[in-house]
Amino acid sequence: MTIAALLPTDSFNVVVLAAVFVLIALGLHFTFGMLNVVNLVHGEFLLIGAYTAFQFQEWTGSVVVGMVLAPLVAAVLGVLMERGILRFLYERPLDSLLATFGLSVIIRQLVQVQYTANPRTVNDPIGGSFVALGLNIPWWRLVVVAATVALVFVVLGLLNRTGFGLYARATVRNPDLAETMGINVGVIRAALFAIGCGLAGLAGALLAPLNTLNPQFGLLFLVNSFLVVILGGQGSLRGLVAAGILLGGSLGILQFNISTVFAQIVVLVIAIVGVRLRPIVSEKLSVRRDRLRRAEALSGA
Amino acid sequence: MSAVLTVSNLHAGYGDTTVLRDVSFEVPAGEVVCLMGRNGAGKTTLLKALMGMLRKTGTVLLGDEDITSWKGHRINAAGMVWVPQESSVFPGLTVREHLVIAQRGNNVEKGIAQAAELFPVLGERLEQEAQTLSGGERKMLGIGQALVVNPSLILMDEPTEGVAPVVVQELIPAIALLRERASVMLVEQNIDTAIALGTRAYVLEHGVIVESGDVNALHDDGTLAGRLAL
Repeated sequence: MTIAALLPTDSFNVVVLAAVFVLIALGLHFTFGMLNVVNLVHGEFLLIGAYTAFQFQEWTGSVVVGMVLAPLVAAVLGVLMERGILRFLYERPLDSLLATFGLSVIIRQLVQVQYTANPRTVNDPIGGSFVALGLNIPWWRLVVVAATVALVFVVLGLLNRTGFGLYARATVRNPDLAETMGINVGVIRAALFAIGCGLAGLAGALLAPLNTLNPQFGLLFLVNSFLVVILGGQGSLRGLVAAGILLGGSLGILQFNISTVFAQIVVLVIAIVGVRLRPIVSEKLSVRRDRLRRAEALSGA
Repeated sequence: MSAVLTVSNLHAGYGDTTVLRDVSFEVPAGEVVCLMGRNGAGKTTLLKALMGMLRKTGTVLLGDEDITSWKGHRINAAGMVWVPQESSVFPGLTVREHLVIAQRGNNVEKGIAQAAELFPVLGERLEQEAQTLSGGERKMLGIGQALVVNPSLILMDEPTEGVAPVVVQELIPAIALLRERASVMLVEQNIDTAIALGTRAYVLEHGVIVESGDVNALHDDGTLAGRLAL
């Protein structure tokens, strides 16, 4: 008997949920993790992405065009929001929290006015599933997992291997010094906000076929996005991925045994305990890294 | 000689507090002008205002260009660079990355080699995170960053302050080398350093320029000692 045979046939959902937790938090890594804006409008950018996919499905009969355009629509709206409002509030975190809360309510209400509160559905662009290792794997869910993995590597590459990434890291760590060293901090911040909103829009479009759409769609993901970014360590992409896998994976496993509501409560407890323990773990890892570095230096000498 | 920097009737401060009042001075091309004064006189505030970091009124000309309302990145691109006093660095970024940022991607390796030639210790620590450098090494990095962009004017804020004497002996020749390549505005409290490097001096007190002239003359007649004494 293989291990796979012991698992429920829908065990792949554990992987999917882990990927979804990472996917919904990727955009927040830019707006909250890097730019330090307590971005309560993040969920509404998922909403914008999802409804962009829905709207294009209505217009063209195909959801794919909408999915491609969703991140662009969200990014453009994100830039307008950042340049119009949030750029004045970087040094005023409480005001930015209030502003993003207000914007989230406005966007939600506008969506409700336009599309009503009735549930909407976005078609699965591929449909169907296949069986592998005894597990039932829906094609679209596999696409969501693959897209998440690809996006993580793209974001890692963007931030660590490009000139833009270097300027962005410098900007978020010391904006005054960055500005006086020739970096246009305003442009970098706007670009980071646009990328964050674009990623949220893309996440919303990718997740739309897996959920019923309504104006509350973004709220479903907002709290979990913040949990992932905070548990992973604000500004740490690797931490975000680890936290997303931990929380999403835990939720997926727990849902086999207990109700979704209790599973979410347990996930919250895991997040709280994790946040409490993270400094201790970080300290131990840091000490270990220093020891290794010293040992390497001694062996080199 | 034409002025690389001309400041007229500058008022600047933080929020509602005005620190600098009616400050006017010039930095002639090719000279090292010392800005002197006790702690709290407004020297660093003046440099921050010049770099576009504080609200200000008055006129600031870089060459013939009016840069009064420009932001820091544009001022930097125009050729005025700042070496801050506190040796600020970007946490988590390596020495090499700092030098790359300073050059904004232009002929990077040549610039890094230049900085490493001037300060060999930087060359040995290119892959080290800049925040782990000593205070003196951070000052070297700041000067190295200024060097690699070929500026027309360098604003240098107390480069020898809080640094071990042995490091000062390394920094002073490097600053002298910068002097050959660009005009320098040197904020300094140490009279000996000012005399070693400077040509002209301005003395700031409570945000107002109270003395100006040849640095040696101001030293010889006891003005500097009197103004800077505690």
